[in-house]
Amino acid sequence: MTSPGDAAPVKPPPSFSPGVARASSTSRYSTHASQRRDSVQSLDSNHVDQSVGPSPPPLSATTELPIRSASPYARSLRSSTPQLNRSSLGSPDGGRFEGAEDVRSLITRSFSPVVGVYASVDTDDLVHEKGFPGGFWGLIRPFGENVPGKIVIRDSVGSSRGWEDYGVRFVDLGGQARYPPDATPGQPPPLTQIDEALTKDLEAAENPLARTLRPKDLAGASTISPLYNDFLHQLLSIPSATPHETFRHPVASVIAISSRNTSPLETLRQLYADTTNGDRRLPEWIHPEYLRYYVLVHDEDRDDIAESTKLYDQMKRHFGLHCHLLRLRSNQCVVTDDDSVEVPECEWVSPAERLSGSAEPLVDLDMDGHLYLFESDVMAIKAFVRELVAQSVIPFMENRVAVWNDQVASRRRGISGRFMSMSRRWAGFGSSSRSSLTGSAGGVSGNYDGARGFYRPDAPEAVLRKMADFAFMLRDWKLAASTYELIRSDYANDKAWKYHAGVHEMCAISLLLNPVSMPAKTKLGDIDQMLDTACYSYHTRCSDVPNALRCLTLAVELLKSRGGLATESAARWAMRAMDLGLVGSIGQVLLSERISACYASRPPLPGVRWGARYRKAGMWSVLAADLWLQLGQPSLASACLEEAEHLYASVLDRNEGIFPMPEMQVFVDNLRHTIQVEFLEARGLNTQESLDAVPPMDTQETSEKLDKRQHRRSLVVNPLESGIQDLADNEDRPDDDFERA
Amino acid sequence: MSYYFTILSPTDAPLFNIAFGTSKSGGDGIARFRFPDTAQYMNQFIIHSSLDIVEEAQWMNGNMYLKHIDTYPPAAAFISAFLAPSGARFLLLHQPPQLPTAGSAAAASTGAPGAAAPGTGSVSSSSGASSLLGSSFAATASSSRTSSSSIAANPTSPQTEEAVRQFMSEVYENYVKTVMSPFYRQGMEIRSPVFRGRVNAAGKKWL
Repeated sequence: MTSPGDAAPVKPPPSFSPGVARASSTSRYSTHASQRRDSVQSLDSNHVDQSVGPSPPPLSATTELPIRSASPYARSLRSSTPQLNRSSLGSPDGGRFEGAEDVRSLITRSFSPVVGVYASVDTDDLVHEKGFPGGFWGLIRPFGENVPGKIVIRDSVGSSRGWEDYGVRFVDLGGQARYPPDATPGQPPPLTQIDEALTKDLEAAENPLARTLRPKDLAGASTISPLYNDFLHQLLSIPSATPHETFRHPVASVIAISSRNTSPLETLRQLYADTTNGDRRLPEWIHPEYLRYYVLVHDEDRDDIAESTKLYDQMKRHFGLHCHLLRLRSNQCVVTDDDSVEVPECEWVSPAERLSGSAEPLVDLDMDGHLYLFESDVMAIKAFVRELVAQSVIPFMENRVAVWNDQVASRRRGISGRFMSMSRRWAGFGSSSRSSLTGSAGGVSGNYDGARGFYRPDAPEAVLRKMADFAFMLRDWKLAASTYELIRSDYANDKAWKYHAGVHEMCAISLLLNPVSMPAKTKLGDIDQMLDTACYSYHTRCSDVPNALRCLTLAVELLKSRGGLATESAARWAMRAMDLGLVGSIGQVLLSERISACYASRPPLPGVRWGARYRKAGMWSVLAADLWLQLGQPSLASACLEEAEHLYASVLDRNEGIFPMPEMQVFVDNLRHTIQVEFLEARGLNTQESLDAVPPMDTQETSEKLDKRQHRRSLVVNPLESGIQDLADNEDRPDDDFERA
Repeated sequence: MSYYFTILSPTDAPLFNIAFGTSKSGGDGIARFRFPDTAQYMNQFIIHSSLDIVEEAQWMNGNMYLKHIDTYPPAAAFISAFLAPSGARFLLLHQPPQLPTAGSAAAASTGAPGAAAPGTGSVSSSSGASSLLGSSFAATASSSRTSSSSIAANPTSPQTEEAVRQFMSEVYENYVKTVMSPFYRQGMEIRSPVFRGRVNAAGKKWL
């Protein structure tokens, strides 16, 4: 006979069974799988904790603090028990703040500074010996995404703020692939890759052994479904270093040699020369003045520390303070070693890498694809990254922002009439200052190279954009927004449409991220206007689909996190994205779900029963269910349908859960039936032989449940939910408002 | 332009449904929605979802005619609403036809070879396409840039609002007469063929 572990139990789709049974049946996978899943889950929860804990700037520290400390617990509770999640639907402002913080955190983290990594051959060899195929870059990359401890950043007015979730992204300047990675003709465009990666995820979710996506997580209007989370991540990790925005331009570059090098100083000079004017030079639209950081990797196992220290002192004398001695062991670490630590996974993986890389951990289950490091190595790398970011990168960026703000931006602001007494700074700027004069006067500045499509990096327009981007990455959104505002018209005058689109996009986003100014209705109108311009410029003028999609998606998420009136606006932008056909088939469904979530997160007006958007939310959920079904994902579809039923529950309660309109009822009934059939079919096909082996008791049980379903056309029988219904009923009794009206 | 008109009771139960197309500017009065025939339930979904907005708008605004209150962008469906004192709600979904450059209209006009030549004046009506542009407008507005007086072209224009208002008040008058009938009980579906005929006539007259 088969053990219960071998066969996935035949059970109706989640929509037809109460949540408790579902939760218990998940524990029936083989021990191996559950172990694996546990590790995945713990990783996930780590991620969540990290992403939830640090919250964007509190409006007033006293009110925000308890929320922040409580949120990780609340979150873990929610994800483990779907019932709790659901109960939040009934509460008037449920869903407004949930999930809002981590989306904002996700978005701010996605715009983190880029640090190039250029290692000498001997360093890469050393790291290869440790078992890291990616070389030095591959070794330190996962550690850059979350810098341990608090990073303190000073903004333009001089006030400091600590950030727990700061990170940098390491990119490889020295590997086979050139930086920035060009779109090679053989490769499909990034959006296609995202779609493929999502399809892959879905397939992985089908396979119960490697199940990381749980349909029950997909339900719930306020939390982000893992699939959508994935979609956002990938959309934000498209490695697009383009002239029109400088987020992907390196802010600094790490130049590394190892203690094995025979002529260390010459090698460092050579590496430096390669990145400045050698064959590793960056494209000319990237500002050539970025920070260089020199690292000496000391081999603890083979080399003498005294020698290395001497060399390190020498390096410091030659190259200044931006140096670090990184002590690593060159032996490979395996799981069985005492102090082995698993290398964390990268959070920001581009769709292309995902497609090529994500297959292997699913294939060999026995020898998992994880890499291990000695604890001492991990500590050393973490300390290195922290020092690099806190003591070199951040001060460098702060400094650049201050200088540019002084020299370029304030002069521009001065011309517009603020302060005209900056005459002493005029000397030494020659032609560029003159061109900026004409630029702001409304003419064409002439700094834009229309044929090649970019500004020279030292043109004031480019510098201002870079400054605003730096301010954005330093999370000084106020300065960023005002700077973007300043250069908006210049780009339009020069007909630099991509710059124009980008600056409008970022202006809207930094306004939305700025926690101080809760936009009033008029301000929302401004933001809508900017988004509209950005979207039009990206999509129609430049036909840059990925950026248009990024712009709209960010707008949707940020507007949704604002709550209130903005959620409607968010839903509208999501519809626009669907309308323009920016997304593939899976993206369409995800956006539908998102629209539903946007509408669902709008609470009813205080004191009355109207003003919510449950019907709209319900409609979009039903449509999403229909689309999932068309994609052959009955389990996801049933989750959506379940969600829709919950959303409709509050409006349909007076009709005993039956839609007043016959065609709707027929459609929903058909949908439910089809989902049920397909779900069982999928199960049946997967576990054909085990079906025969299932004891008759089980089958009877299932069929009984199904029969029950068909007679009850209304909602799922769920004690909790019927409680809600009763509540709603009670509330609803005296609702003869209409007759009084 | 295609219309879907429905009267809902205060408990959201539909009392009356009718779908019709425009009769202005050469239209044949037959509804052609953008959804495929298998997806006509979408009209009801859209109407139903716009009740959220109706509920909100009815307390914000003292008029019986609430004007254009909601839009469903993916299908370019516009909803106008009218409140009766009894709590019944008149909802009109209007959907401009797809532009001749896209979708079914394009297929229809290319399908009729004779009518494909521009400037024949009656492109749309002769080919039976769902285009709102009849013979009188096609000459001036063959490039899909319709004149603003055509109510079909821009569903949010004042002209359209006015036309819908006229339609609504005429239907309301007839509705009152119908529900005053001694054989009608409140909340019953309206089956009167006379009423249906009158609504149809009002649609022909105004929309």
